[in-house]
Amino acid sequence: MTIHKSLFIQNSAQGYRLLALVLVSLMLMFADNRFDYLSQVRFYASYSVTPIHYLSELPESVSQQVADIFKSRDELVDENRLLQEELLMQQYQLQKIDHLTAENQRLNELLNASAIVDDIVVRAQLVSESPDPFRKQVLINKGSSHGVYDGQSVLDADGLFGQIIAIEPYYSWVQLITDSQHSTPVQINRNGIRAVVSGTQSSLHEMVLNNMTVNADLEVGDMLVTSGLGQRFSAGYKVGVITNIVRDPGQPFARVTVAPTAQLDRSRNLLLVF
Amino acid sequence: MARPLSLKAPQGIWVILVSFLIASLLLVMPLPSWLEYYRPEWMALAVIYWSMALPHKFGLIGAWILGFFVDVLEGSLLGLNGLVLALVAYLALSLYQRLRMFTMLQQASTVFMLVGLHQLVSFWVLTVSNQNTSPNLMFLVSAVTSAVIWPLVFYGLRYLRRSFRVG
Repeated sequence: MTIHKSLFIQNSAQGYRLLALVLVSLMLMFADNRFDYLSQVRFYASYSVTPIHYLSELPESVSQQVADIFKSRDELVDENRLLQEELLMQQYQLQKIDHLTAENQRLNELLNASAIVDDIVVRAQLVSESPDPFRKQVLINKGSSHGVYDGQSVLDADGLFGQIIAIEPYYSWVQLITDSQHSTPVQINRNGIRAVVSGTQSSLHEMVLNNMTVNADLEVGDMLVTSGLGQRFSAGYKVGVITNIVRDPGQPFARVTVAPTAQLDRSRNLLLVF
Repeated sequence: MARPLSLKAPQGIWVILVSFLIASLLLVMPLPSWLEYYRPEWMALAVIYWSMALPHKFGLIGAWILGFFVDVLEGSLLGLNGLVLALVAYLALSLYQRLRMFTMLQQASTVFMLVGLHQLVSFWVLTVSNQNTSPNLMFLVSAVTSAVIWPLVFYGLRYLRRSFRVG
């Protein structure tokens, strides 16, 4: 006897199937959220989405190339002159920095501190943002095949941008420093007070400085740099500027808001620090 | 005349796959950030359409696998989109006879409900797992845009299904 195709789909079987799938999903989400087992699964599965990332990036890169082709000579000359001027200014500042670095090294040697190692930096380009507007993550066009590793620091021209949280063969996901799940160990540049700055749920351009006592020596405009503690980010990258301090004597801690220096919503060219 | 129930792949399965490929491209297509809130849930729309058009061929497992793929694509919590898409497919499969009879307005409002539920469940899961979520009800806006764009999806996919004789 053959099983006949029923006119209606049997709902009880579907119900059990849904229940099973819900349970599998819940276990999977729990494992993904709490443990690290699934990063390998994600890595191998992400081979299948590489073409989609590539295709979604295509219009942007093609239009960029087309724009390059049709740029007029005048525009190029203008741009060239501007860049020359900028280069001159940068070189002038670099001269000062060279001097300061040498001096710093001499002082460090006097203190028997370890020498400063120059970082190797690789340029990466932003491919897309997370499609979920509430998650502060972006995709960049460098992946494990370029040597990207988990937890690597990502900078833009103005400061710390984020860190690598998921790696694919040719792309990787960067969690921005203002994501509510991200915290950065920092130091106040003016007086060296150590603190931890965390992202917020609300805004892309706002972070909070945790657990600062009401009488802590903080001022609006203070620059925060990475402290190098926690062994994630090396010391000295710009993170943000204090924009507002609310000292309520009734509260144990001051409410300190910080604006990131990196252009989190504008930068397309990023730097990966090795 | 009854054919034996088989798990054979439907004829013209590549049309279905291409429609999912297009949906996933639309899902990650870069948009200006103010427009991100209005991005329709393309994958959920495609799942609703195929559950309604081929209820004997497209099922929960297919929807779940698709969701896993979306999770990898978006870098979201593994299993999240599997859960919500399987849920959407389940509801669409139990409603498919009514959906086929509905006028376009009724269909669109059902789609609004289904995508709204999709958004709500993801919102709950993300809140429980401490991820970034919307501080207000903006996450429901994409249910509205999904319902608005539904007639386009419906007629487009129906045209594809008929011209390639998928089934």
